[in-house]
Amino acid sequence: MILQLKNVRKSYGEKENKVEVLKGIDLEVEKGEFCVLLGPSGSGKSTLLNIIGGIDTADSGEILIREKEMTSLNEKELTRYRRDHLGYIFQMYNLIPDLTVRENIEVGAYLSKDPLDVDELIAVLGLKEHSRKTPHQLSGGQQQRTSIGRAIVKNPDILLCDEPTGALDYATSKEILKLIETVNQKYGNTVIMVTHNNAIKDMADLVVQLRDGQIQKQYRNAKKIPAAELEW
Amino acid sequence: MRDPLRKRHLRDLKKQFPRYLVIFLLLFLSIGFTSGFLVADGSMIKAYNESFTKYRIEDGHFRSAYKLNRSQLKRIEEAGVQVYELFYKEEELPEGRTLRIYKDRKDVDLVCLMEGRLPERREEIAVDRMFAENNGFQIGDVLSAAERDYTICGLVALSDYSALFSDNNDTMFDALYFGVGVVSEEAFDYPEDTLCYEYAFTYSDPPQDETEEKTMSDDFLKVLNAEIRIEEYIPRYLNQAIRFTGEDMGSDKQMMEVLLIIIVLITAFVFALTTSDTIAQESAVIGTLRASGYSQGELLRHYMTMPFLVTLFSAIAGNIGGYTVFKDLCAGLYYASYSLPTYETVFSGEAMLETTLIPLLIMVLVTFLILRSKLKISPLRFLHNDLRSGRRHGVIPLSEKIPFFSCYRTRILFANRGNYLSIFVGFLFANLLLMFGMGLPMLLDAYQENMEMNLLSTYQYVLKMPVSLQQDDHKLEGLLEGVGFLRDTETSNIDAEKFSAYELELIPELGFRQENVSFYGVEEDSRYIQGLEGRTLISSALAEKYELSAGDTLTLKERYEDTVHEIPVEGVYDYSGALCIFMPREELNRTFDLPEDTFLGYFSNTPITDIPQSRIASVIELDDLTKVSRQLDISFGAMMVYVDVFAVLIFLILTYLISKVIIEKSAVSISMVKILGYTDREVSSLYLRSTTTAVIVSLLLTTLIDRYALEYVYNYLIARRMSGWIPFVIKPQIYPLMFLLGVTAYAVVALIEYHRIRKVRLSEALKNVE
Repeated sequence: MILQLKNVRKSYGEKENKVEVLKGIDLEVEKGEFCVLLGPSGSGKSTLLNIIGGIDTADSGEILIREKEMTSLNEKELTRYRRDHLGYIFQMYNLIPDLTVRENIEVGAYLSKDPLDVDELIAVLGLKEHSRKTPHQLSGGQQQRTSIGRAIVKNPDILLCDEPTGALDYATSKEILKLIETVNQKYGNTVIMVTHNNAIKDMADLVVQLRDGQIQKQYRNAKKIPAAELEW
Repeated sequence: MRDPLRKRHLRDLKKQFPRYLVIFLLLFLSIGFTSGFLVADGSMIKAYNESFTKYRIEDGHFRSAYKLNRSQLKRIEEAGVQVYELFYKEEELPEGRTLRIYKDRKDVDLVCLMEGRLPERREEIAVDRMFAENNGFQIGDVLSAAERDYTICGLVALSDYSALFSDNNDTMFDALYFGVGVVSEEAFDYPEDTLCYEYAFTYSDPPQDETEEKTMSDDFLKVLNAEIRIEEYIPRYLNQAIRFTGEDMGSDKQMMEVLLIIIVLITAFVFALTTSDTIAQESAVIGTLRASGYSQGELLRHYMTMPFLVTLFSAIAGNIGGYTVFKDLCAGLYYASYSLPTYETVFSGEAMLETTLIPLLIMVLVTFLILRSKLKISPLRFLHNDLRSGRRHGVIPLSEKIPFFSCYRTRILFANRGNYLSIFVGFLFANLLLMFGMGLPMLLDAYQENMEMNLLSTYQYVLKMPVSLQQDDHKLEGLLEGVGFLRDTETSNIDAEKFSAYELELIPELGFRQENVSFYGVEEDSRYIQGLEGRTLISSALAEKYELSAGDTLTLKERYEDTVHEIPVEGVYDYSGALCIFMPREELNRTFDLPEDTFLGYFSNTPITDIPQSRIASVIELDDLTKVSRQLDISFGAMMVYVDVFAVLIFLILTYLISKVIIEKSAVSISMVKILGYTDREVSSLYLRSTTTAVIVSLLLTTLIDRYALEYVYNYLIARRMSGWIPFVIKPQIYPLMFLLGVTAYAVVALIEYHRIRKVRLSEALKNVE
């Protein structure tokens, strides 16, 4: 078990303005699993991802990564935890504008004691001919590939993806999903992806459907469909 | 693996080159000038300090009205001193210049030859280098004095005249109208009655510190007083001609250090603000990096690197400049004021530290504090571009009646209040410099004008009291001399009005100089000092300097004695020319035990021609009273132009950097309103006018604050660092001039920024990635 959540609760605001975003989430993800958090806007999926990622905190409950409790970690320890175990991919690529593709990926490599080979990864990402380009010379898909490279080069235990295809067209979205699938299979990282795209659930090992801060449905796919075959 | 983020620095430097260049220039100039100043100052202070031994500078000197005989000298020397003749002759040169001529010194107060050679022939003279420079005299020129012509054979610095004070009581030295020179021993054959009998002395057993020096000096004075009638006694520690230079150089050093700290503080603050702006622009990237595991410390170091590197390079370049160009410039400033001997550049570890380590420390500290507060928010808030620290407040409510454009501008003003605050703080400093730079020459002019308007009389004739009249043990001689004195000093000039005079010493408060106060005993119904009505009035200069008013009591002591006088102040007489006290003549004579009819001089608006020159000690005219303003103008006039230029440079750099930050920060909004159809002119009126308003308000407010700050600083410094008084005056025409300079500097920046606004692309608002 790589990730275990027990009765995780989170609310924002105070007194009459208080809104409970997560209302007792229990979740278990196995190592190497591809997990999709599905749900409409405001269902709490991004908050849940941020809490798993250690950039937001739960009000109560337990979060265990490799059976280590992380709710008690201080800011410094949380940074260490993110550095050692997590990779992040966002809808906005958030690349450093004055660094090249290769250098942006190296930014991720710098954070790891045992990073993947950057050149090999660039080839896997299909960015070989763009490695010396800066982000503004790339298409949206190429930028997202770069951000995936930056996240995966650390060889993290868990790859957290927050709507990674939200700003991309159909074809590019599929490319990115295929790439994440490849990474998951090739490097064995656990992937937790937040999406509101219902079709993506079919490529996951574990599907968690959220609604109004609660898990509405949770199941494991008996047979996954490859990303290339997804349609929406 | 090294942090790949470091690769950004060089690219950032290229991208933001104008920003870094102006910050570099500001720091380079400030550090360079300070470094040059400290090196020159340190080297010259070293040369000055060494000159005491090298040139065997006296421990003091005294002047007797007559030449001392051998037995007197012997008895005086028994007090543990060596006495040396330092007789001089004062020659009047054309245009009111006075040259004090000594014979070449062999034993004490030696001469430093700066150019040419020392005199050998009878007609030759070596004159003070600065006196020569100020008057355009060169080697080979002939100086025509009343009785003799002299050919200049060399330029020298006399070790006991590093500051050319003709009188130790003068407020300021006067290197234009007063100079010193040496002739050969053979040439020093002037008639005895035209000589001044000055004697230098050195202690056989030199004092170890200033306290001991004072005790020894006081003891020696008692011996002298018992032996001879002293006309003047100046121990070295009170001799302005010797000490003023050292003290001034020491205090200049502190002033430059403080100035550098202020400039680096402002620059660091602006640097931190511009970097904060970069952080705001890179908010999402920072959020991602933090989410990926970059620590706050790593990012803090990353964003602090450029301010650190720019300061480091400025400090290195500044120090190179300091040891080369700026050092000579600063040494030139000293040589323009003081008659210093030659100096050798001395490496100063302290100066190097002060101009590298301190700017770096300030830069690191300020950027650390500001950027840490900026970076301490959570990664999530960076990702959400929610960078406001502390509790979030809603927008400031504005009345709906305010027109849209005004409302928009007000919002921009509030959104950039941190940036505008830094403009205000920077202007506060720049305006203070500008007001000082522009105000000092005006203040000196005003002083000159005031002196012309408020002279006590066009001429003040001070008579030479016969020595025998002053000595109790020469009664018969005194009586005969007295009759002759009274006969000779009567005048038929109907403008002339007698006054008696006396002089006492102020007991200095801590930090103040020791100085004398003159008493004028004036006639009842005087034509020159009106409104006395039997009262004791102090001059406005004395009142302002020591903050005295009617009802106060002034405590003064006899010069060279311990007798103390308490003088009640009954009012203030409007006269800035000297620290003096006016009282009825009879009262003055009674107070100081002078014979009832004693008088010591005449006030007159026309020249008195029927008193023999031998009976006149001095004639005080406008030139004598304004030598302080004249000398300050010579010493600082040229430097003030640098101060003005530097102040305007700060205006330019500050407004440029801040306006640039505001416009870059607002690029998306600017692009958006352009998309909506606003013209460049309209957009500029929204974004530039807010800055214009902030600039104008800051200019006006800081001028007002600086006016009072400058008065306070000026009064504080002048009261402590100078004898005498020059009242603080700010001429009204300075305000529009300052405003115009500030606005012109901003107009240049506004033009650049208008161009920048025009360059903001419409796509800026539409792109959602880098």
